[in-house]
Amino acid sequence: MSLITTLILANFTTPERIGVTALSMLWLLPLALSVAVVYKATKVREVRAVSFIKESVVLFASIVVFMLITAVALLAIAWLVT
Amino acid sequence: MPPRSKENHFVLLLTVGLAGWLVPGGGHFILKERARAIIIFAAIVLTFAAGLYIGSIGVVNPVTGKLAYTAQIMNSPAVAIIGHFTKQGEYSVFGKPNEIGQIYTSITGLLNLLCIVNAVYLAHLKETEHARA
Repeated sequence: MSLITTLILANFTTPERIGVTALSMLWLLPLALSVAVVYKATKVREVRAVSFIKESVVLFASIVVFMLITAVALLAIAWLVT
Repeated sequence: MPPRSKENHFVLLLTVGLAGWLVPGGGHFILKERARAIIIFAAIVLTFAAGLYIGSIGVVNPVTGKLAYTAQIMNSPAVAIIGHFTKQGEYSVFGKPNEIGQIYTSITGLLNLLCIVNAVYLAHLKETEHARA
C-alpha cells in the first residue's frame, strides 16, 4: 500500500478535534447545503445549471434562516424559564 | 410496443430501488436521468465521507449505535463492511466528533432513502405513461 493511501486511510480512523464551542455549530452549514442540493435534485422538473443552483441556494438559505429563528426562540424560552 | 406485464413492472421498480441503494443515484442513472444521478451521487458520497472524516469510521457501529446504523445502512450495503470492522469497538469515538459524524452519515442515509423512493416513483410514472401512450 502506498504512503498516500495509508495517510488517506489514517485520516478516516482518527476523529477530528472539535471542541464544544459556539463555532462548532458551523458544521451544520455543509450538511444543510447537501440536504438542499439532494432535495432539489429530486424535486426540479428539469435539471438546468442556473435554475438548479438558484433553487438550491434559496432552499439552503431558508434552512439556515429558520434554524437561526428556532435557535433564538429556544434561547428566549430558556432565558425566560431560568 | 406492447405494455409490460405486472411482473416486469415490479421487477423494474425493484431493480431501480436496488440500484439506488447499491450506489447513490444509481436508480436515477438507470432511468437515464444522468444529471440528477451525478448530483445525488456527488452530494451523498461527499457528505458521507465528510462524516467519516470528522468522526472516523467509528461513527458507524452496529452494536453501540444501532439507531444511527439503521439510517447509515441506507447509504449503501458497503456501510455493512465498515460496520464489520468497527463492531469490536477498536475505533471508539466520543463527544462532538462522534455526534457530528453520526449526524452527517445518518442524514445522508435518509437522503438516499428519499432518492430511492423518488427513483422508484419516477420509474412507476414513466411506465404508466408508456402504457397509456
